[in-house]
Amino acid sequence: METKIKSGAFQKFAEACGSLMNSEIQAWLDQGGKVAGFFCSTVPEEILMAAGYLPFRMRGTGSTDTELADAYFSPINCSYPRHVMNQALKGEFKFLDALICVNACDHVRRIYDNWIRYAKGINGTTFETVMSLPRKWGDRQVDWYYDEINLLRENLAKHTGVEITDDKIKEAIKLNNQLRSLQKELYELRKKDNPPITGAEALVAVVAGTAMPKDRYIELLRQLIDDLKDAEGNDGYKARIMLVGGELDDPEYINIIEEQGGLVVTDSNCFGSRLFWVNVDEAESDPVRALAKYYVQDRPTCPRTYGSQPERMEFTRTLAREFNVDGIIGERLLYCDNWLVEHYMTKFDLKEHGGNMPFLALDREYILSGKGQIKTRVQAFLETMEL
Amino acid sequence: MIVGGCDIGSTTGKAVVIKDGEVVASHILKSTTSPGKTARLAMDAAIEQAELSSIDDLEKIIGTGYGRLKVPFAEENISEISCHAKGAHWMEPSIRTVVDIGGQDCKVISVSGKGTVSEFVMNDRCAAGTGKFFEAMARALDCGLEGISALDNQGPEPCPISNQCSVFAESEVVTLVNEGYDLKNIISGINASVASRLSSMVRRVGLIKELALTGGCSKNEGLVKSLSSKLDVGVITLPIDPQLAGAIGAALFAAEKLGK
Repeated sequence: METKIKSGAFQKFAEACGSLMNSEIQAWLDQGGKVAGFFCSTVPEEILMAAGYLPFRMRGTGSTDTELADAYFSPINCSYPRHVMNQALKGEFKFLDALICVNACDHVRRIYDNWIRYAKGINGTTFETVMSLPRKWGDRQVDWYYDEINLLRENLAKHTGVEITDDKIKEAIKLNNQLRSLQKELYELRKKDNPPITGAEALVAVVAGTAMPKDRYIELLRQLIDDLKDAEGNDGYKARIMLVGGELDDPEYINIIEEQGGLVVTDSNCFGSRLFWVNVDEAESDPVRALAKYYVQDRPTCPRTYGSQPERMEFTRTLAREFNVDGIIGERLLYCDNWLVEHYMTKFDLKEHGGNMPFLALDREYILSGKGQIKTRVQAFLETMEL
Repeated sequence: MIVGGCDIGSTTGKAVVIKDGEVVASHILKSTTSPGKTARLAMDAAIEQAELSSIDDLEKIIGTGYGRLKVPFAEENISEISCHAKGAHWMEPSIRTVVDIGGQDCKVISVSGKGTVSEFVMNDRCAAGTGKFFEAMARALDCGLEGISALDNQGPEPCPISNQCSVFAESEVVTLVNEGYDLKNIISGINASVASRLSSMVRRVGLIKELALTGGCSKNEGLVKSLSSKLDVGVITLPIDPQLAGAIGAALFAAEKLGK
């Protein structure tokens, strides 16, 4: 991906986003550190950090096919877990010591079963677990996840021999809150008429935050924000676009949208604003309670959770307004039923109570294929606004 | 004012020449492996038909279709979605919904009173519900595309064909043939299966009358009949070959841009 950004920090981020293993992880391993892989944005990284791990959010970056994984998945499974599994079966996750799965959706949940049977031996993980994330949105569900997080805490303490104290968890919360606030600050720059960072570049910066030690990332992100403050902005675009969707870690997808003239200025994505728009409550005396509340309730949720669509929709509307958005693209991995229905609802809600904001549902595969079809849809979408 | 529109689709290439608001020449040919060559052949034929001496006589040309970036003589390109809406609406201004069924994709477009796109949906990235599907079915039944289209061949009790995948549907059709089902009911079943898919897409956008079909498959009379009955709405017959709607739309955009 070409970039105008002249920043050493951005180059580091591009390296981290463009591969699974990167030099920052290598440096961590060289110092004797251990890495824990986790799925989705609902696993409390803070517990992993308190246990001494470097949390790494699982991706299939670099995968080119799903030949090995398709022995255990079917072609109508989501391509994200299939590509991740394929990388696992090729032994691309040998840098992991632990793997934390979650029942985020059924496709992703099945990674756990397949990992235990087929990928564990190849990659040499020594601890695997699956967390049970509540399906509904509410106070009782916070209690449920509170227990789940404590269970993870106990099991990790047993496995690592590290005492996971409240203070250590509080420290991790504080560090991650700092990180989230900085990511939000980066997004604030995109409110400008000529944002100094494109949507594709912003995604690079966010993905990198899930693949390197947090303190190092914070240092680099501060540097990037400083570098961008006086940088030349992006102009000449046809429309300001907001992306709404799920697992998207490939900047090239956004690049295609931007090449057509749609500058992506914000998002409600889980490698995006939903990760950092809200902070964990540091005033709460029980840090596990604070985490449970944050991951289940406080943060904009994923549509796999029942009962929170109105709040998600409000979040989308608010960001669209704040970032002066002209149109919304709902991105979805093919076969994702959660996002399919969510996009129908979003489209309807925008028509009824969203000032008729233009909306395009745009499917994709995890590995970018069918670029021509994506281009045609985006071009036509932009034409509906300008012709 | 004399302008051109060139629509390079996956299966056919189309070119039109519009002079002072009237289509004076058009040409449709099978796509070659090179979009640029297809465009050149189609436009050369249209120019000859319009009795022009060269392509330079056209004041502006716009390219559209999946090969729109490869039309060597087009100064600009516009997506086929906008062009089909524009072309169909120009031919019949009462049109508010366009179903474009091409060789490899189908789309439903909601058109404003001005002929611009309000909204659109496209099929998933496969051959289901497109010209390629009909070609596969015609091959399985050895009846030619005319056989699928002919109104006389639309049996009264369409066989259910559940598979939208052209490869699997072909096996399903072969099974029906082997089980001795009436060929005409198989044919109406094939058209009904595509019409049912299209009708879901129309419902997703929201049907606003009047409705017209464009693209090569709009010539399939059996399909038009089935879709019309499923949506319970008449389908407007466009006054000019509906396969040309995209190219006409492109030429109209060229004229509009010149006029500005």
